[in-house]
Order: sequence, then structure tokens, then C-alpha cells
Amino acid sequence: MEKYEKLEKVGEGTYGKVYKAKDKESGEVVALKKTRLEMDEEGVPPTALREVSLLQMLSQSLYVVRLLCVEHSLNKHGKPLLYLVFEYLETDLKKFIDSHRKCANPRPLPPSLVQSFLYQLCKGVAHCHSHGVLHRDLKPQNLLVDKDRGILKIADLGLGRAFTVPLKSYTHEIVTLWYRAPEVLLGSTHYSTAVDIWSVGCIFAEMARRQALFPGDSEFQQLLHIFRLLGTPTEKQWGGVTTLRDWHAYPQWEPQNLARAVPSLGPDGVDLLSKMLKYDPAERISAKAALDHPYFDSLDKSQF
Amino acid sequence: MEFELEDPLTSFQDHQSDTVPILFTSESDHMPSQNFLISLKTSDSLASFRREAISYMSQFARNLDPFVPLLAVNYMDRFISKQEIPQGKPWVLRLLVVSCLSLAAKMKNTPLSLSDFMREEDCIFDAQAINKMELLILDALEWRMRSITPFPFLQFFLSLSKFQDPTLIQALKRRASELIIHALNEIKLLEYKPSIIGASALLSASHELFTLQFTSFKASILSCEYVNKENLMKCFNMLQGMVAMEGYDSSFDYAVSSTSSPLSLLDCHCTKWECNNSTVGPEKIDMKRRKLNGVCYQISQIQHS
Repeated sequence: MEKYEKLEKVGEGTYGKVYKAKDKESGEVVALKKTRLEMDEEGVPPTALREVSLLQMLSQSLYVVRLLCVEHSLNKHGKPLLYLVFEYLETDLKKFIDSHRKCANPRPLPPSLVQSFLYQLCKGVAHCHSHGVLHRDLKPQNLLVDKDRGILKIADLGLGRAFTVPLKSYTHEIVTLWYRAPEVLLGSTHYSTAVDIWSVGCIFAEMARRQALFPGDSEFQQLLHIFRLLGTPTEKQWGGVTTLRDWHAYPQWEPQNLARAVPSLGPDGVDLLSKMLKYDPAERISAKAALDHPYFDSLDKSQF
Repeated sequence: MEFELEDPLTSFQDHQSDTVPILFTSESDHMPSQNFLISLKTSDSLASFRREAISYMSQFARNLDPFVPLLAVNYMDRFISKQEIPQGKPWVLRLLVVSCLSLAAKMKNTPLSLSDFMREEDCIFDAQAINKMELLILDALEWRMRSITPFPFLQFFLSLSKFQDPTLIQALKRRASELIIHALNEIKLLEYKPSIIGASALLSASHELFTLQFTSFKASILSCEYVNKENLMKCFNMLQGMVAMEGYDSSFDYAVSSTSSPLSLLDCHCTKWECNNSTVGPEKIDMKRRKLNGVCYQISQIQHS
């Protein structure tokens, strides 16, 4: 690890601490993620091997933050630790949205940029899903942005998240509340690709509004935020919803006009958003289908 | 999180159609370099190093998941195509083979105790040496360990065919898999992409088992947008040559191969190759034997030092 000069701690990733660091030789600035993956007498643990190699495969996409290399060095107990070295991007979508809201000159994000960012996000998510990987924690903080080039990349794909068909049960405490899909909030034990699409929908709305669509501060409040806008879900809309583990008798709200929540979006944008925020996970649009939605018709796709 | 050779991308059911283009575009990332292929053809020492390594590998791999040595050979080829192998240090071959097998077993989640290597052989490496070698290999391969082999392509090419009967499809798949594993040792096949090898193996299998359907199957594969027709036919002809050569070898009975593991086939093939290949005369085999003895001698020297 003497190869790198740690510049500052930039966050606490799923793996552990993340540092902005400089490659002493090339001068390249990188994001250094210390993992908890210790090597034992058997060398690299099999799970680490399978997971890091999957991360490596995923990072071949332009829309996923690039894994540059894997370093190993001894920790203070003399055990070798794995470090993941990623490309470094200066900003993330949360900071980028804030810079359009909390400043001397508040202004909306240019509609063409919202469109382009959403397209790139769908591309990245489709790429993960086609490799059998759910992100499960998509949020603006996890989307890195290259302002100058107008590029958005998915980051913080946690280890131990990928799984294969058939879907298995997973523990729930995963997604940041604001972007958490209703089936997860209601205690469904089977996650599917649709949980990521819900998050994408929330992020789409947030880019258009410059503030979160459902800013709940508890699981219960989170559900109420969702129900107030989209209406309390019914069995007819979403078969089986009332049998989910954490279902209770909720106040009955009627669906509001979604377009009013995102006034800056045109009808195509609102239509795509409504398809991403379908209650029934099976009805929610897939990332791949979203790429073909008319909302993107005016986008020059040849640049991607 | 598992890694299946037939489905290296572990895709979701509803995304299966997306994986085919990904497989075709990324298969080359998991092949040895062109330079390595040229060196293999021009350098006797490199070719014999590889042959020896595969033969050594098959000794250990007898009781393993059949895909483990297949994956290990892929890692080894990619490693030696990037990394100069120090000459005159025969233990390197053994350490490399053991480390590639160990990595492949970890990827396949197959238990493989390093003591297995140590029990069978009088030449012992300590676990630390293997761990270090594993890391060297991982670095050289940039942790791209989810190799794309010919296997995920079998299902895809079969889906293009008119074959419907599941038993028939099974038979084709099994025979094609055998051919692929046999071909491991054949350096001339290394230059072909995994998809081309997969398609050629299926064509050979259909030529052999279901001759009547061969022409239409060939036409459907040739019309596939991802397939380079010229390469496919070259590779197919080479495989056919391999199959024909088997015919001469009466001691190696293919018909029973449905019961034998691909591993034992790999092993058989190594033996057979040494006997059949006209470039490997008796003297060379002798030399090889001497060399192998030398390997053990050197390692035992290390151990005793």
C-alpha cells in the first residue's frame, strides 16, 4: 500500500472505509476501499474471490465505477488485507443536486441532463441485472458524477449481494429508507430486480424536483409518504400485498396526480416514472425496457 | 454468488436474452494472448511445459468436479501468456498447477484441501508458497476469474437448432462437452474463441450422432450473426481430425465415455496424445520422464535444504 498516498477519508462504504488516494508513481487519484476480507491459511477466501471477480466483471461497463486493481497488504496483526482500488470521481449525484438548490443561484437541473443521467443509470442497472446482481442500495450518494463530461456511474456495489436464480430470502436492513421499495418496507422476503427500479424512480423524481420524493424518517413514515402520493395499495392493484409480513390497516388514501409532484417533467417523463413506481414488483418496468421508453426518444443515444 | 461454467453471468431468468451478446463480446477477455499462441507453436519448451502441466494437473484432478481442471487450464494459459516462466526451475510448474487448481476449486466452491497435494506427492510446498502464487496469478489475470468457456454457448447454439427431443439434446451436449475437454490439450485449438469451439464441438457431435440433421444444424449455426464462418469451419475440421485420430486408438474407447468423468477423459487424452502425436517420439517421452524425475529431485532438494 506504500504505492498510494492517502489524501483524505471520503466515506464509509459498504466494505469499510474509503479514502481518496494518489498513486505515488503515476499521480493518478483513486478511491481506495479497505475491505474486511482477511486472508487466512487458505489464502484468498473463496467468497472474496468470487465476489471480487464479479465486481471486476461488472466494472467493465462505462456506467459502473471502474475497479482498477486489487491490492493486498498486511494489517497491524500481520494478516493480509484486500484493498479495492476504484477510479475516483469528484462528486456524487446528491452533491450535484444540492449544488443546484442550496446556493446563491438556485436553478433546476437542465431537463436534457436529467434525461441523460437517468438513461445512464438505467444502462448501469440493466448491466448489473443482466449479470445477476442487485444493487439494493441505489441512492444519489452512490451515484458518482463527472460534471464536465456529463457522466454518471453506479458505485458501492456491495460484496455479498449478488445471488443467483432462484431468488433466496435476504435480510431486510439494506436500502436507505427514502429509496426503499414498498415490498421491502412491508417485509417481503423475496427481493427481485424491481427493488432497484423503485430506487431509480425515486432518484428520477429527485433530479426533477431537487428534493427527495419520499423523505420518510422511519419505515412506517416511509410507507405513509408513499401511500399519500400513490394511494394506499389494494389487493386488486397488488395481489398478496395484505398478506405481507408487516402489512397493517393503513389509512385509505386515493392516488394523487403524479405529474403535480414532478412539475418539471413532461408527459413521457411522468409516464416512465409511474411505470417505475408501480406497486406490484412484477408490473414494475425493467431497466432494459426503460431504455426503450419514449421519454428517451429525444436523447441522442449514439453517444452511449 | 456462485460461479457456474454454463452460466458465468449468473443472470436472472428474465434477463437471459441479454446475456448472449455479453458472452460473445467478453469471451476474448478470457483467452490467452495472441503472442502466447505464437510462442506455443514456435517454442518446444513452452509447448512441452504446457503439456507437462496438464498431465500433472490430471493426476490431482481425478476426484474433483470435472470443471475445476478445465478452469485451471484456462487460468494457467492466461497466466503464462502474461508472465515469463523462469527457465530451469521445474518446481515452478508444480506450484503453478497446484495454485491454478486451488483457485479454480475456490471459484467452483469445491472443497480442495491443499494437503491433498501434499499427501500424494513427496514434493511439498508450504501453504504460504501456494497463497503467494495464487496472488501472483490473480494480479496477472486482474482478478478476472469468471472465465467464459465454450460451455455457456452450447445451450445457445442448441436453441438455434431444430432439435426438440430432450434426450437427443442431452446426448449432443454430452458428446460436445467431451470433445471440448479432449481439445484442452490441443494447442491448435487455443486460438479459437470459446464460442467457436463450442459450436464446432456441437457440430462434430451432431455429425457423429445425428448425421441426418447435421446439414440443417450447420446452416443454422452458420447463419448466427456472432459466428465467424471461416473460423468455425477451420475449427470444426480440426476437431474432426481429432475425432478421426481417436479412431486409431483402440485402447481408448469413446463409447464408454458417458460414464467416465471428463477428468478421466482428460487424463486419457494426455496419455493418448503422447503416444499418437508423431512429433513426440519415444526419445522425447524418455526425455520428459527424465525431466519429471528431475523436478521431484529439485523440489526434494529444496525441502531438505
